[in-house]
Formats: sequence, structure tokens, C-alpha cells
Amino acid sequence: MAILIPAFYFDGKTSRRLTVSLTVEGDIALVTGEASRTCPLGDLRVSERLRNASRKVTFPDGAYLEIRDNTAFNAMLKTTGHQDSFVVEIQQSWHGALVACALTAAVLLLGYVYGLPTAAKTIAHALPAQMDHMIGHETLSVLDSSMLAPSQLPPAQRDAIVKRFKSLSPPRKGTPSYEILFRKSKVGPNAFALPSGQIVLTDELVKLVNDEDAVMGVLSHELGHLHERHLMQRILQSSIIGAGATVLFGDVSSLIATIPTIMLDLKYARDAEREADDYAIEMMKANSISPVMLIHTFKKLEDQSSKQLPYLSSHPPGAERMERIRDAQ
Amino acid sequence: MEIIDSNRLADTCPLLTEKAEVADTPERFVFTGSGSEYFRIWIVNLLLSIVTLGIYSAWAKVRKTRYFYDNTTLAGASFDYHGNPWSILRGRIIAALFFGAYNVAFSMSSMAGFVMLAMLGMIMPWTIWKSLQFKLYNSSYRGIRFGFAGSMGKIYYVYFLLPVVTLLTAYLLAPFAHQRMKKFQHEQSRYGDTHFSFHASAGKFYGAYLLALAIAVIGIFMIGIAFGGTFVGLKESGLKHAGTAAIGSFLLFVAALCIWIFSLFPVFLTLLQNLIWNNTRLGDHRFACHMTLGRMVFITVTNMLGVIATLGLFIPFAQIRMMKYRIESMSLMPADTLDSFITDTQAKASATGEGMVDVFDLDLSL
Repeated sequence: MAILIPAFYFDGKTSRRLTVSLTVEGDIALVTGEASRTCPLGDLRVSERLRNASRKVTFPDGAYLEIRDNTAFNAMLKTTGHQDSFVVEIQQSWHGALVACALTAAVLLLGYVYGLPTAAKTIAHALPAQMDHMIGHETLSVLDSSMLAPSQLPPAQRDAIVKRFKSLSPPRKGTPSYEILFRKSKVGPNAFALPSGQIVLTDELVKLVNDEDAVMGVLSHELGHLHERHLMQRILQSSIIGAGATVLFGDVSSLIATIPTIMLDLKYARDAEREADDYAIEMMKANSISPVMLIHTFKKLEDQSSKQLPYLSSHPPGAERMERIRDAQ
Repeated sequence: MEIIDSNRLADTCPLLTEKAEVADTPERFVFTGSGSEYFRIWIVNLLLSIVTLGIYSAWAKVRKTRYFYDNTTLAGASFDYHGNPWSILRGRIIAALFFGAYNVAFSMSSMAGFVMLAMLGMIMPWTIWKSLQFKLYNSSYRGIRFGFAGSMGKIYYVYFLLPVVTLLTAYLLAPFAHQRMKKFQHEQSRYGDTHFSFHASAGKFYGAYLLALAIAVIGIFMIGIAFGGTFVGLKESGLKHAGTAAIGSFLLFVAALCIWIFSLFPVFLTLLQNLIWNNTRLGDHRFACHMTLGRMVFITVTNMLGVIATLGLFIPFAQIRMMKYRIESMSLMPADTLDSFITDTQAKASATGEGMVDVFDLDLSL
């Protein structure tokens, strides 16, 4: 018993729509009606199954049949042994879609928490250190012309700090070359490391902590950022997150794509601070300085910035950082 | 032998009984895609794209486009997409390299960044051209492919010179540049060997832009009046002494302003899509497009709220809703039967022109 299926035939040369019937005899497809042709089943390409759309059966020369009666056509396909691809099977079942949904969420979460940080760290360490220098070499001059001024600390005090820090032994091998610079800040006490290897210490911070051991702690924290290649790592992480969010939400709105990027990136910022804290603790212990000095520093810095919003911070909460130092003792 | 009777045939395909000679009755574009079905395609595409680190996204794009094309019908026949995923993948790899180079250049120095930006600006028109050719050449209807000609000179005039001049004239030329771009896009497009033509003047584009601007300003003015009283109150008492009610209405004001600014894009899009398609012809066949501002704004704003509230899961539903409205607002007014288009045999023969079309595609949407 052969099934006869109504179809439209388009020959690929003109837009004329011909009314035909399709039937299958053995391994041969037979088209009869306003056009007639035969074709081995193996040479035909069948479009994927969709709920409402008509199916297309394409001949090798580009001519095709458009079939509206999906039920009858599916029955015919069954007799020819045609199999939907695996992807189509998943797409057409709610069960498959729910599994895909759960897997997507799991993959995104694992990638965010473990995959991306690990990958970024590996890549950052594999890249030559000169790349970091190229990225950061302009930053200092920009900062000097906007937020920083020459240091007003007595040269003797500056020399003493540099000399003392250089005499400390870092906790790990392979310390990058670095330089300690002193600046007067226009925006309050701060210390930061530039990827080009400069650690900038502001007069305000030195005065605020008012203790050389504590200054050593701050410097080791900044050295930790350099040693761990945090800046390169952050650049890699945020560009991948940004690209992902754009692909996912860019169609809807570029603003919506930016918000998750910033939020997700903050976790990586805090993780980097924690790593630098750990580095500083190790370095202080290795040189028999009490890490408690770090606690005082964080406390003073926190009092300074307590007027800021506590959440959405790029640094871990001060209490948590102090707790970690106490635990490390 | 089972024979399907003509009633059932007419049932499954109401357009079969329509006579080809009956011209002048508008043929509506029909979109049969469903949000729930597309959601499943979308989530599978997303999962496979992520686990293959983006490689599958080229195949995902083919599936997505096929879904949209297969579900778009006009006069009883649907559209078809023939894009080769390998070409799409190639385009995406090139785009990713450009994107990476651009980011690295900007993080090295702003000078290097601007040099890179200028270089991208130089290459961009050419890639837009190739993408248009790819997209049209790989689209077909009733077995006849679309096509896009274009020339190096025109592409750089429309996509490089005009944008630069527009920038230099503080966007006063924007409607003109937009009109020239659309004119170029439509006049260089063809279906088989029949060319599209474009009849909207630059003056009409200025009209649409001014109307959009007027709507924007009036809206902001109205929101300002509606909340004006609160501000006077806030100013007099000072922020510190303002009651929660005043702060609440201030937040409402900001929210209203945000939603309004977000609504301006669909307003603009509606005015432009109507203008463009009501002035486009394919041979002697005309198009009509009747989108309404209120409906478009409603769809856009509710889509955005849906996407935010579901953390993105509503995206496929939102896309289908928008697509359905935009497609079904369009119709074709045939001047004659739709049976007599023929494929462009000359285009296939000239290997240099369209031989390049399958090289790559730079449309990056998933």
C-alpha cells in the first residue's frame, strides 16, 4: 500500500508552483501530477521536523517539494526508515529541553566558579610578562596627570621602606621585577600595583597606618597581585564574560548585556583581593612579621571608607579579611 | 492505494484553491513560529554552543534561521535558508580575532586602540557587503534565490564616507545617510533576476526622524509635567527632609523616564520599517507595512520586563513575539502572478562577483 502525499513542486529555475503528489516505491521517490520526476531516496534532503512549518524535500539540483500534511508525511518517512537527528529529537521533546535547560545552568555555573578562573589563570601565567608591561605602561602617566602628585614624604623614610621591603623574602619563587613608587594622592589613602610592575604607595596611606610593619603588609599584598598576574587574569575574565553576555542578551538590549557583566566580574575582583591577602599573610609569616599588622591596616582603611556603600564592593568585607588573617596565625 | 481527497487537500492548504490570475489582492506574510517550540531549539542551541566553546554557534545560527524562514509563508509557500555552517564559523573566527585584537590594542594604549579602530572602520564596509551577499544569496523563496550585487565604490560611499560626514555634521545628515543606505541595500537586492527598487526620498526620512524626535520630546515633557509638583516640593524642603512619598515619586519619575527612553527605539523602528517597506517594490509588485506605534512599544517593553524577570529564559519567546508582529504587519501587493520569476543565470556564471559570497558571514547573533 503506497501513500500518496499532496505537495507543491518548485523546479528551482522559475517560481512556478506545481501541484503534485509524492509517493515512495522501494528506494525511489516518485513525483506525479503537474510535474513528474523520480529520485533515489538517498539523494533527497529532508528538512527538520517542526510543529507548524511545512516540510521541504530537496532534490540534488535545488528543486524541492513543499509538503503541508505533516502527519501523512511523518508516516511516509517512517516507512522509509528516515531518522530525525539527535538534536531534533531533543528539540522536539519537553523532556529533552528541560534536561538541556538544567545542563546549561550547571555548565554556566561551573564555568563561572571554576572553569573561567582556572583557564584565565593558566593563560595569564603562560603569557610573557612583557605583555603586562605593554598593557600598563601608559597608566602611570595618566594617573600622574590626574589623581597623583609628587610625594612629600622625607626621602629617608621612603628609602627605608624600599630597603626594608627589598630585604624581605617573598613566599614563592619567580617574583616579577617591580619598583616601589611614592606619590601624594588627591583622592585619599591608597596603594595599588600596575601591571607594568610599579607598586604605587601614597603618602596618605603611609601616614594612616603609621607603622612600618603594616606598610610591609600593604606592599606584600600589592606584590601578590603582580606575582599572581591578576590584572592579565582579570582582563581575560571580563572580556570572556562580556562577550558571552553580548551573545546571550545583545539581541535584547546592550544595556541588559552590560549589567550582568559588571555584577559577575565583581566576584573575580574580590577573589583576586583574597589571593593577594593570602600572599601577604604568607610573606609576612615567612619573614617573622606578625600578620596582625594587616588587620590594623584593613580596619583603618575600612573606617576611612565606611561612608561608601557596603555592597557591590570590589573588595571582600573588611571583617572577613581580618577573620582570615586571624585564622592564618 | 490511499488517495487524499481534494477537500482534505484544501483543508491543509487553503491557498491551493486560489487562482494564480487573481492579482491585486494583498498577500499577507504569515509567521507560524511558536515561542514554546523555539524555546526548546534556543536552549539546545545555547547548551551546545557553550560546551563546544562557541563552535556550534554556527550550526545554531543555521537552525535558528531555518526555523524563522520555514515558518514564514507568503502566498502558500515558505522561505528557505541555505547558509553553510562552515562559512559562518569561518566568519565568526575572523570576527573573534578582530574583537580580540581590538580589545588588546585598547588595553595597550589608546593610540594603538584608535589605530585599530580606524583599521576596522576601513574593513567594515567590505565585510558588511560580503555579509549582505551571503545572507541574500542563501535565502530563497519558491526555489528562487535572492541575490545582492553592490560595488566597492558604492559600498565605501554608503558605509564609510556617509557615516564619517554624518559625524562631522553633528548628525544633521543622519536621515540622508540612512536613506542612501537603505536605497543602496534595496536597489542592489534582487529575487531571481528581478530587482527590488526603492522609492522613499531623503525628505521622507527627515520627516520620520523629526516625527520620532517630536514624540520623544513630547513624552519627556509630559513626564516632566506629571512629576513636576514633586520636584518643587523636594527643592523647597531639601532632600533630607523629603518624605518617603516624595522619594517614591522621584523613583517613579526615573522609572518612567527609563521606560520612555527604552520605548523610543521601537517608535523609531516602527516609523522607519513602515516608511521603508511601503516604498519598496519588487519589479511591479509592491509591499505594504502597517505596524502601529502602540503595539510595538507594548511588545518591546513587556519583552524587556519578561527577559529581566526570568533572567533571560523569556528571550526566545520575546524574539518570536517581535518577529511575528513585524512579519505579519507586512503584505505583498502582487501586480501579477507570482509564478513567473526566474532564477538569475548570469549571476551564477560570473564567478568573481558572487563566487565570493560563500566565503564568510559576519552576522554574529546567536
